[in-house]
Amino acid sequence: MYLQMGWRNIWRNPRRTIVIMTAVIIGVWAMIFLGALMRGISEQMVRNGITTLTGHIQVHHRGFRKDPVIENSIDKPEVVEAALSKILPQDARWTTRVRVDAIASNARHSGGATLVGIDPEREAEISFIGQAVTEGAYLKTGDTYGIIVGQALADKFETKLGRKLVMMSQDTKGDIASRAFRITGIFRAEMEATEKQFVFVTTGAARKMLKLGNEASEVSILLTDYKESDEVADALRGVLPSESYDVETWRELLPLVTAVLKIYDWFIYLWFLIIFIAMGFGIVNTILMAVFERIREFGLLKALGMKPWWIVKEVLAESFFLLILGMVVGNALGFLSIFALTDTGIDLSALSEGLEFAGMSRVIYPFVLITDIVAANLVVLILGLVVSIYPAVKAARFTPVKAMAHT
Amino acid sequence: MSIEIKMAWRNIWRNSRRSVLTILAIVFATMLLVFMLSFQFGSYDTMINTAVKIHTGHVQVQAEGYRDKMDTRLVVPDPGAVSGVIKNIPEIEAYTSRANAFSLVSSSDRTCGVLLTGIDPEREAKVSTLKKLVRRGEYLTREDTDMALVGELLARNLKVDIGDELVVLGQGRDGSVAASVLKVKGIFSSGEDKFDRNSVQMPLGYFQDVFSMRGAVHEVVALGSSLEDVKKIKKELGAGVRGMDSDGNLVILDWMELMPGIVQSIKLDLVSGLIMYVILIVVVAFSILNTFLMTIFERTREFGVLMAIGMTPGRLMKSLFLESVTITLVGIILGIISGGMITWYFQVHGILISGASELLRQYGLPERMYPQLSILSVSVGTGIVLIITILTAIYPVLKVRSLRPVEAMTAV
Amino acid sequence: MNIVECRDVKKIYRQGKVEVHALRGVNLSIQKGGFIALAGPSGSGKTTLLNIIGGLDYANSGSITLDGNIINEMSQSKLANLRLNNIGFVFQAYNLIPVLSALENVEFVMLLQGVPAAERRKRATTILDDVGLKDAYGRRPAELSGGQQQRVAVARAIVSNPLIVLADEPTANLDSKTGEGLMEMMREMNEKKDVTFIFSTHDRMVMDYARRLVYIRDGLVADEQE
Repeated sequence: MYLQMGWRNIWRNPRRTIVIMTAVIIGVWAMIFLGALMRGISEQMVRNGITTLTGHIQVHHRGFRKDPVIENSIDKPEVVEAALSKILPQDARWTTRVRVDAIASNARHSGGATLVGIDPEREAEISFIGQAVTEGAYLKTGDTYGIIVGQALADKFETKLGRKLVMMSQDTKGDIASRAFRITGIFRAEMEATEKQFVFVTTGAARKMLKLGNEASEVSILLTDYKESDEVADALRGVLPSESYDVETWRELLPLVTAVLKIYDWFIYLWFLIIFIAMGFGIVNTILMAVFERIREFGLLKALGMKPWWIVKEVLAESFFLLILGMVVGNALGFLSIFALTDTGIDLSALSEGLEFAGMSRVIYPFVLITDIVAANLVVLILGLVVSIYPAVKAARFTPVKAMAHT
Repeated sequence: MSIEIKMAWRNIWRNSRRSVLTILAIVFATMLLVFMLSFQFGSYDTMINTAVKIHTGHVQVQAEGYRDKMDTRLVVPDPGAVSGVIKNIPEIEAYTSRANAFSLVSSSDRTCGVLLTGIDPEREAKVSTLKKLVRRGEYLTREDTDMALVGELLARNLKVDIGDELVVLGQGRDGSVAASVLKVKGIFSSGEDKFDRNSVQMPLGYFQDVFSMRGAVHEVVALGSSLEDVKKIKKELGAGVRGMDSDGNLVILDWMELMPGIVQSIKLDLVSGLIMYVILIVVVAFSILNTFLMTIFERTREFGVLMAIGMTPGRLMKSLFLESVTITLVGIILGIISGGMITWYFQVHGILISGASELLRQYGLPERMYPQLSILSVSVGTGIVLIITILTAIYPVLKVRSLRPVEAMTAV
Repeated sequence: MNIVECRDVKKIYRQGKVEVHALRGVNLSIQKGGFIALAGPSGSGKTTLLNIIGGLDYANSGSITLDGNIINEMSQSKLANLRLNNIGFVFQAYNLIPVLSALENVEFVMLLQGVPAAERRKRATTILDDVGLKDAYGRRPAELSGGQQQRVAVARAIVSNPLIVLADEPTANLDSKTGEGLMEMMREMNEKKDVTFIFSTHDRMVMDYARRLVYIRDGLVADEQE
């Protein structure tokens, strides 16, 4: 009964109801839509980080990450491989890499780069490089002279497919090792920094150049579900002794991304709260107005023997309907906006260098996290009802005589 | 105080609860914007100043194309002539020359690829913060030849310390092999990982010998007293350099062109911030629209009387508008005061963004951030709130235009 | 000389599909300095007639001349100006601006007319003294009794020496004693300041104060008494 009354009461002054509902609608829309955009940005950062040679878990020789030199290689990769085949879930994939800081040079230029020796078939299933070659061809197992470089590096070196590129680094004996490669492929990456940093050869070629046996720098693992990372990493730590091996998940491998995720988490909930406060003032004011112009009515109800609690419930019911209607439309608009952008995204290429600087992708796609949606709606509904208690209690406190005297 | 302002003021307090809530909403929005914008502007300032002081200076003279390719052969052939131009520009407070080359640097057991930079120790100290960043050992002097400053992370990777030798191998300006042995004199730390891992500084004169530069440099770096001078310096330097550079090979680049990443990321941050602020204020606007509407609709009879005694609708609208503007102004002023005070508190004490230090360092920002209260940071947010609120106030006021005295007086 | 001249004034209201003929052709001439009561039961059309004479409402046909100006052809803003300078109004209720004091309420009209502040103050205090509110300058309407409020309203209506004062049932919300006091005062002002008063009423007592009594019935002038 009080629900029915609440519903009818909010339509006694439709203009006022629609105005405050608009505030709720815009607020909820802003929470959902902008929340999804922020999630989209951070989600893409994680994905970029993981596919850019990180994977979900990596195994290194102890100390390699602090001092990434060839001496810190995993000297018996077969031990790790045995551990992996025992522990990894069926559909997880992994690969080994040789990875070393090097100098790339040609006749005109020289500069630093990270030389990565990969197992072409396994690597293609794990990182971005398998699909990233836009010119020439991807590496083939056994290829000892081919090298794949990024578009940005090729531009900087004023070189192209088929040209020579000399790589220099330190071999296992501490001598300068140098080897000439031929550019057989050029890749593009989401980040220009990636295109500038990495050059790829086969593991065989890298080992030959650096005078390595079957040592490897790292093992990178990709799980089907990233949520299992911690669990699997723990299991690996149990088998691979910590005095010889470092097992780390992507959270530890990408501290920057992890920090961004944390900040975004914090920021999205702060945004929800701020938006709520902004509309909270309006909700209280509107309900107060609605209550005060009905003082006589409440007085009458009380004179008829209505309990104060019932009046509180009636006023809260009004607020409930306002909020629910606003939320339904706000959610709908939010999802519509998200849906409209799922294919095209928001193209920010005009600010590409700024995006690069901030570690963001050129196109932002909204990403819906169910917990955000639930949180946004709960914030609005619960806090909305909480602030409505004030006018509701006001209404319940009108004494019949005073209320009837009010004009 | 005129009767009209008095009337507006008293009308506001006829329903004090409602007005207080409305004013609070405006205070909230203004306060938040003053703080947020001060915070953003403060961090941009820090970011730009750190970057300018470590890397680019305000304006540079370079050979055309050098910025993108960093090709050793693209040089400023006669830095002395450029200094001659610089001396005639009063806005330039300090300047220096630098030369760079990618080189392979080896210690006894490690080799790394780095950006080796030749600097003029005395002039460099006035242009960049490098001298202050030296944490161990000493900064370079004019007399030094085969000495080097090494970034902290690089020193760790190379496993070198003060007094250790480094073998440098690179390519000279003429394409010849450039090789030398340098002694580590100092170790610096800027907090920016990429710089600390990737750079070695040595005296410019010796660099020019080793890399066969024949007196040439890659950058002439000028610093004015503040960012506001940049435009003027750029213009005058441009005019001067064109006069001496007959081939037209030299270009004048300001810090924004030298670090487009920073400029664009600031733009990105600012634009996304403004979008959020506008959305927020629109929500506030709809929250307070009801107040503005009600103050007008519940007084229809009163307006009828006012019109009957000869107040024109225009005058009535003006006085109602005055009322809404007064509410807005009260809210905005209180918002500026409270927002200013909060901001000022943090400007003095700093805000510790814990857990994000590594992230902030990449942008050249310290862990403790200081918002920067300025006329701009206060006026931008306040301006947005003012405009949107006033637009909100106009709609209900316009409703009065069609009011007729008789209908108004008989309205319920 | 006739200050108000009504010729065949007709007014029809539409309420939904129903047409209400409020005035069916009123002819009325009022001379300067008069103290005239429009009498009749509620719904007779007397308020409508007052509103039309005062330029608050338009007639559907006929002509109304006020001091030589044909007012049914004037624009809204011209009418507002005419009301401001030439007509004083007193209503049954809700007469005063609640946020202004008695003195400020009286001053307000002069403010709209652009009278300088000092002059405003002087005239407002004088007129409030005249209507017997010497001690109530600073009080707001809520702090005044009903009779006092109506006195302020009369003071406001006559402060700028209008051609006519129109009062729509000024005593309707007052008890009879206070009502009589108000009528005394209005009569006194009429004589002292030579201001024409036209008021509507259905109260016998009020009619007795009138020097001329015009009966309105079913939208027509039914009878007249001097």
